[in-house]
Amino acid sequence: MTTKDLIDKLGLRALSTFDDRDVNGVFVSDMMSDVMAGAKSGNLWLTVQTHKSIVPAANLVDVAAIIITSGKQVPQETIDIASKYNIAVLASNLPTFELVGKLYALESFKK
Amino acid sequence: MEIAKVKEALEAVVIEAENGLDVTVEHVYASDLMSDVLAFGKPNSILLTGLATRQAVISAHMAEFKGVVFIRGKRPKDGSERFAREHHIILLSTHLDMYDACLRIEAVERGGLAVGDKAAAKTVSDELLLCRELVIRGNDFAGAGMVSTEVKSILKKIGLDPKLVRRVAISTYEGEMNVVMHAKRAKVNLSVTPRLIEVVIADEGKGIPDINLAMQEGFTTATEEMRAMGFGSGMGLPNINRNSDELMIDSEVGKGTTLVMRFNI
Repeated sequence: MTTKDLIDKLGLRALSTFDDRDVNGVFVSDMMSDVMAGAKSGNLWLTVQTHKSIVPAANLVDVAAIIITSGKQVPQETIDIASKYNIAVLASNLPTFELVGKLYALESFKK
Repeated sequence: MEIAKVKEALEAVVIEAENGLDVTVEHVYASDLMSDVLAFGKPNSILLTGLATRQAVISAHMAEFKGVVFIRGKRPKDGSERFAREHHIILLSTHLDMYDACLRIEAVERGGLAVGDKAAAKTVSDELLLCRELVIRGNDFAGAGMVSTEVKSILKKIGLDPKLVRRVAISTYEGEMNVVMHAKRAKVNLSVTPRLIEVVIADEGKGIPDINLAMQEGFTTATEEMRAMGFGSGMGLPNINRNSDELMIDSEVGKGTTLVMRFNI
């Protein structure tokens, strides 16, 4: 499963420019230190945080994409810096819970 | 070996030596773990340690050591001198790190190094592969994470193991966030030697009144606003502790905090 596959399957909006890459799991948190401690390289990171320092955080732990849930408005600054670092910022209007449900239903992420 | 000779070999300064340095030691024991000192240290030794506290001096006394050398320019700030004076323990401080200090003593003991012969004494700074200074601005939530991103890309470029780089990046990020949240500014020093990556974050800020408390998972002094942005969940220092091979925190309330994080290559 790649980032582009997920965009199609879940109807996500791609906000930044990025290279397609494999996704190997999902991590959900709105606290940066949790992401530092728990997100793995290649994970999707679901959050409602939209300020631009989510980009360095995503870059440091090398997540495959950030998905901003609940239809939150993402500042242009965040999108620009994400494009600069080749980090995928995707958006969904679904609340985190519902999006997680859909992701869980996808064969690739079943534990 | 006389302690006077140890002092010379390590280019050390005397913190406490009421009865002079004319004392002979039979062994050298290097450790930061006081339980090891008590378990394995032999009487009539001198202790090399990075633990600049009374505990080190007390442990040295218990193990019947003659003296303690604090490495990397450390000095105890908790009145250890008095205890040392009362129990006739000599205290020295050297600017060398543990590895180099051990090498120097060994070289002098073998007679391979004339005391004071700096050219022959190899120190870490001689083999520095890379040294970089970066600056973090306090309260700059928008730019938060950029210094650790820079550190990551520098280390990645040298071709270090990605897993190691990740550990350094995460630790630096957490250190950076602490500065952004709690300090005015900080200098970050990144240095790489063939066996070690060291990141030192020295801030001008409010300092940490109780380091043990700050090390506890979930303990935070962040404001609601910071927490709403996803910072200050009280996992910063624990995350650094988990990701680094060595973490030293030196803090003075009202002045600032210095974090020394080391990663073995």
